[in-house]
Amino acid sequence: MTKTRIAIASALAAALVLPVAAQAQGNTEKCFGISKAGKNDCQTASSSCAGTSKKDAQTDAWLSVPKGACEKIVGGSLAAKK
Amino acid sequence: MPLALPDLQAAFAAHVAGGDRADLAAVIVGDSIPAEARLRVYRHHVSHSLSAALAATFSTVHALVGEGFFRGLAQGFVAEALPMQPVLAEYGAGFPAFVAAYEPARALPYLADIARLDWALNVAFHSPEGRRLAMADLAVIEPDRLPSLSIALPLGAALIGSHYPINRIWSASQPGASAETVDLEGGRADLLVLRRADDAAFIVLDGGEAAFVAALAGGESLEGAAEHAASAEPSFDLSTAFARLLSLEAFAALRQF
Amino acid sequence: MAQVAGIGLRSPHLAEIARDLPATGFLEIHAENYLGASPARQAIERLREAYAFSVHAVGLSLGSTGGLDEDHLARVTTLVKRLDPAYVSDHLSWSVHGGRYYNDLLPLPYTEEALDVVVRNVGRLQEALGRQVSIENPSCYLGFAHSTLTEPEFLAEVVRRSGCGLLLDLNNIVVTAHNLRLDPLAWLSGLPAEAITEYHLAGHAVNDCDGQPMLIDDHGSRVGAEAWALFDAAVRRYGVRPTLIEWDTDIPALPVLLEEAGKADRAIGSPSPHAARAA
Repeated sequence: MTKTRIAIASALAAALVLPVAAQAQGNTEKCFGISKAGKNDCQTASSSCAGTSKKDAQTDAWLSVPKGACEKIVGGSLAAKK
Repeated sequence: MPLALPDLQAAFAAHVAGGDRADLAAVIVGDSIPAEARLRVYRHHVSHSLSAALAATFSTVHALVGEGFFRGLAQGFVAEALPMQPVLAEYGAGFPAFVAAYEPARALPYLADIARLDWALNVAFHSPEGRRLAMADLAVIEPDRLPSLSIALPLGAALIGSHYPINRIWSASQPGASAETVDLEGGRADLLVLRRADDAAFIVLDGGEAAFVAALAGGESLEGAAEHAASAEPSFDLSTAFARLLSLEAFAALRQF
Repeated sequence: MAQVAGIGLRSPHLAEIARDLPATGFLEIHAENYLGASPARQAIERLREAYAFSVHAVGLSLGSTGGLDEDHLARVTTLVKRLDPAYVSDHLSWSVHGGRYYNDLLPLPYTEEALDVVVRNVGRLQEALGRQVSIENPSCYLGFAHSTLTEPEFLAEVVRRSGCGLLLDLNNIVVTAHNLRLDPLAWLSGLPAEAITEYHLAGHAVNDCDGQPMLIDDHGSRVGAEAWALFDAAVRRYGVRPTLIEWDTDIPALPVLLEEAGKADRAIGSPSPHAARAA
């Protein structure tokens, strides 16, 4: 067994006996409970009589500006990072 | 001339997807409400309800851009990629890539990564919990056999890395979040998304942990993964990281257990 | 009198129902929401001990000329076998074409050709499940000029040829009858009584469609007066059946839903004299 391998084996073994307080650095974000389930249903969208065309919707997409929690995200340049 | 049923369904499908079909309107009873207006109810419902399903799955994207902008984004995706099966919770795998290429969202370079996170949480939520690897499972193994052990992530788990602090962007976008701002230059984030007993959740990993988990997910042994982590992040502490990940139940139980 | 009215179980109420176990006749779920191994499905499986269940599918596409999607059918079959519900149902409609799913209950022309398709698909479904299923009348926004049967005639014929049951949605009859200029009471008469397994009740919206009112089955409000009257008429004519309150848009607090179910139970207890005359 190489030196690094021995070091890795003992580090792994040490992890198994670390006191619980040292292990449980949570940082878990609870995301959603069981209320998240349903997406399939059998009703009809109540807005479905409205007379906008597909073309209108696409033009709207270009004119539409994001308006939501993104207003809280500040700084940074507009270009995507690679 | 009535359409045979296969032709009628083909025409109807094409019509609700956006292509006007005069042959279809001709076989529909119109009165003071013409056939075209009647067909519109179905066309709009398809687009509206699929957009609503995407808004539920990509709830953080929706919260970030608001209903108006999201509708345009979602309807663009729906027009390009209708579901290929009826379970709407499984619809939208291609949405993050669509967001990445969506020109009107260019000013929000983190949006596609948030879409990937929303999708990963959705996938984890619908995956079986499965048994997780516990310290006790490893305690019975000879210590010098540990380095060659391969450890898998649980079903439905995903590692989501971003140049942006997507964990904080995610938190700021949840219902009831404070008005506090998030600095886009706040540094990269590596998140491990996992199915939990009653929901889906993510753990924030540091750079070494992320390299360690990514290598394990790619099939490396614990030894190989530890080497990857140490070269990615010289301050990587194997004992602390491994203990933390085990206590967070981040790994699937070993096959032989 | 025993509660025969139940509620459509919607995810915002799932945690509350699992905690409080409110009294209700039965719970109905949409099959497609519980095909994955989510904690929501685990919660449903635990509720199975406390409630009778109805599994209402929305995506089998029983009117598709291409036949049923066998992968989807297998998943629905697995869920039905796990839950062993009192009732299983889907709609007289289609939603799949060329492998794409349109997420809508699209209308069929009521012809011999369509009858063959539906009877074949319902037969395949009943064979896969090893049990009877019920077929629900949809809300229609248009009719086809070449239909040779009325909707109730078509449904009765599907029942006769396939041995399936009927799920009668009274609100859908109100919506369809208004939109297609039919008489709802005439629609209701002449169904095979013994085939009716369940009633559905829900609210609808009245929308403006090019200057004309169109009823939209949005399941977004309390059950309307017309649907209650038609429900009375149905109970008078065909008898009491498990009855469901459905609510999918602007979902209210759970007590509102239970209150509507209570109303249905009271209506069953004493169908109004008006309804007796009407039927």
